[in-house]
Amino acid sequence: MSWISRLATQAPVPVFVAIGDDAPPQTARLALHTGLTLVDSPRAAAILLVAGTIPDALIPHLHRLHDQFPHPRASVLWQSSQPDLLPAAIVAANTVDIVSVLTETRDALLSGAHKTEPDILPDAPLNEWRRIGPHGQGGEGMMGGTPYGRPMAMTADDMRDGLKLDAYTADFGPFLPMFPPGLVLTLTLQGDVIQKVAVVHPPFDVDWNQGVSLLRLLGLPGLADRLLRNGLTASATQTRLIRWSGARAAIPPGLGRTHDGSDVRDRFDRLIADPANPKAPHIDGIHLTDLLVGLEWHEAMLVLNSFDTGALQRICANGGDGDDQRDTETIHASHVGHGS
Amino acid sequence: MTDLAFYTLSALAIWSGWRVFRVDSMIRATFALMVSFIAVGGIALLMSAEFIGVATVFMMAVEMMVMALFMVMFMMNPAGLNPMRMVHQYGLSIGAGFAAFVGLTVAVLTTNLPNNPLPAGRDTLRDLGIELLGQSMLIFETAGVTLLATMVGAVVLSSRGGRFGDTNEGAVPPGLHPGGAPAGRKVETGGGHGGHGGHGAHAGHDMIMEDADVKDVDTHQSHDEAETDEPAAANDEHAGHTHHTATSDPTSDKIAPGDPHKTHGTEH
Amino acid sequence: MNFVLVLPAMIAALALGIWVAAILDATCRSLVAGQGRMSLTAAAPLRAAASYMSRQRLTTEAPDRMNWFLSIASYLALAAIGLAMVPLGPNTAVIGISTSVVLWGACESLVVVVVFLHGWSPNSPLALIGAYRYVAIGLPVMLLSMFVLIAAALPARSLDLREIVTSQAGMWNVLRQPLGLPLFLFLGLSLTLRGPFDYADSADLAGGTSVEDSGADRAGWQVARLAMLVGFSAMAATVFLGGYLGPVLPGAVWLILKTLAVMAVVIALSHLLARMPVARMLGLIWKVLLPLSFVDLLWAGLAALP
Repeated sequence: MSWISRLATQAPVPVFVAIGDDAPPQTARLALHTGLTLVDSPRAAAILLVAGTIPDALIPHLHRLHDQFPHPRASVLWQSSQPDLLPAAIVAANTVDIVSVLTETRDALLSGAHKTEPDILPDAPLNEWRRIGPHGQGGEGMMGGTPYGRPMAMTADDMRDGLKLDAYTADFGPFLPMFPPGLVLTLTLQGDVIQKVAVVHPPFDVDWNQGVSLLRLLGLPGLADRLLRNGLTASATQTRLIRWSGARAAIPPGLGRTHDGSDVRDRFDRLIADPANPKAPHIDGIHLTDLLVGLEWHEAMLVLNSFDTGALQRICANGGDGDDQRDTETIHASHVGHGS
Repeated sequence: MTDLAFYTLSALAIWSGWRVFRVDSMIRATFALMVSFIAVGGIALLMSAEFIGVATVFMMAVEMMVMALFMVMFMMNPAGLNPMRMVHQYGLSIGAGFAAFVGLTVAVLTTNLPNNPLPAGRDTLRDLGIELLGQSMLIFETAGVTLLATMVGAVVLSSRGGRFGDTNEGAVPPGLHPGGAPAGRKVETGGGHGGHGGHGAHAGHDMIMEDADVKDVDTHQSHDEAETDEPAAANDEHAGHTHHTATSDPTSDKIAPGDPHKTHGTEH
Repeated sequence: MNFVLVLPAMIAALALGIWVAAILDATCRSLVAGQGRMSLTAAAPLRAAASYMSRQRLTTEAPDRMNWFLSIASYLALAAIGLAMVPLGPNTAVIGISTSVVLWGACESLVVVVVFLHGWSPNSPLALIGAYRYVAIGLPVMLLSMFVLIAAALPARSLDLREIVTSQAGMWNVLRQPLGLPLFLFLGLSLTLRGPFDYADSADLAGGTSVEDSGADRAGWQVARLAMLVGFSAMAATVFLGGYLGPVLPGAVWLILKTLAVMAVVIALSHLLARMPVARMLGLIWKVLLPLSFVDLLWAGLAALP
């Protein structure tokens, strides 16, 4: 092992967690372990930890996610009922100490004992090149054709201030760290403002601490760890720190308002002060379109993470008129997989 | 040493200026232009014009940043990844460039450039300040802040959110008869023209594509907020824009509520 | 100034500063998280860097490779330029020009450019969102800092940092212009992409402009951010805390102590203050912070009149 590798084995293991259905409840608490770093992006990680079961519809997303890890990489399946989900993955039984498995795997990767996992998908564009013409132009006139099946970015009506900006449509995938686990949305963005929402896959039924997610989204990872550690017992220091951080004031008032008048601020207060009994928000007839359209990205993430899993599943199930407007898979298939 | 610095900076300025027109990626073009300006700022530093040199770098960084941002917002091909030709009116531009080069060279070679070196240790910054602003510093500062407030106010008033509500609905002039339909031009809904006032060909591809070349030539100019003297006559787009502004003053709220050009301080 | 001696010394100082900043950051985070001082191991930053370097440098589809590299290198270079402008003694600075405040302003504006390029280069949507979101915040925050710096330059009657330090011989600027340092600290948070002003690399974008960075790119960007923290802290210590001025100890020691103090405050703020959505922050900057900077300038102007 070179000296860089030897030094690297003493650093915390960078792990990206892909949370599946029936993930073990201690998955969230992995963030507290000093021997691990749970990272936001697969590019920063060495090991992919798949916790729980991945439904068949999302397995292609998992394969795409797996290929984004830098070499040397390894995958660990934890409490998974699908041992052949990823070829060459290490299967960890439910009761084993997952941290030691991860640490040993990382050390083995660096020493070369464990071979890095090869790509599952071919490293080629999903769609063929189309229409290249003479003089280096593609397509007719100014349009340049559709290279790799991607049409040019055309401007579309904007709803906020009347500027017509380029519209970008893509699927935002099930393993994004700022999304509830398992949620797949097709979003049309103009800039960072959401124009259209369509639910592709509802979130999993997994225990996940919304207060911790909200604090992370508000730029307070240290306080989020503190909240995670203290769990249901709110300590005075924690309450004081959260109050003085201005987290409540940072959330815009009236964001994500449901029919009973509760907005993200109210839900945040309740999650921080009284995490044991969440109040079921009144969400009949509300669809994600009502909640998210017109919000910018940060606000939309705050709204998504303020609902508990059951409420969010019901919201996604509430019909909307956006579900049949998804752009064709063929054109945007190469966009699919951001964060998946 | 100074000579070496001068030659290096000049070479950098010329090379990056050339790259502006050769690269396909608009972002690279923008920042190549910035590099060119930074090199010129460096030459100003060599001439003991320290404030001008550094201020050039400062201003150009901000301006190019805003221009790059507008390109990403409105262009369909800001990275030049699509194999389309990003330059237009090739022959005309080469001719114009050559003519400009000849003209400028003649001007430089035939002028009597001044040759009065500064005494060492002279505080050029103080001299510059007194020369530019004289006794009127307070007036300039006040005017600057007032202009800023005006620009911000104009943006607020002309954005679709408006000040009192959607500008498509609010601030409608009264009818010619009491209780009648509102007077003035009707807002054109649909099509890109009303929404833009004809600006931004890269954005307006839903418009009919004739005169595509003409529109594209000046789009880059129009994105650059620093320019205040765009040739209004040379392009039907701008003519159309002027027309809009000239005739629609009392009812300006109804025309192109989100028109980005209106919100700049430039006169048209 | 003998460049052969000074340049390596400055680079060594910058490296040391980066290392200290990394340790302070990890310590502060674990304190806020209630984990105690467990991260105060000296080798932790080196291990983290080695961990990054042990992995491959990946690339995305059709990235702007030149700008990807240039953005990281330029960010580091701008931090070094900031540090080089800081006067180390009476009339001594590595970069000593009469308009150093404006040069610092140019560095600030170039940071905005550089962060945008960092988000633009990987050809990835989350990175690009982080990039232009940062521009929307970074430009007005730069305005804030310019007014505050002009206010600090008024008593010195000069835009030269060396003169500004000399003018604080009677009283430090933090005392006679109390609004200056807090507003300048916000600039620091924005320049180093931290805490409430971290719109470029934020968690709600899964890492923002660095979402596609791996391996050496990632290590380089994190090192550059810490280097900018060091450069900014030295600048703040110079403009507001009197730089090398101080009674008993030599000037360089005072400068280092003050830089460390500012660094600790910036790191603490970044872990303790929440980040608002962009529109709300824009409102705060334009409606509250910029008027405060005008007040600061007015105050400094009135004080400098007689």
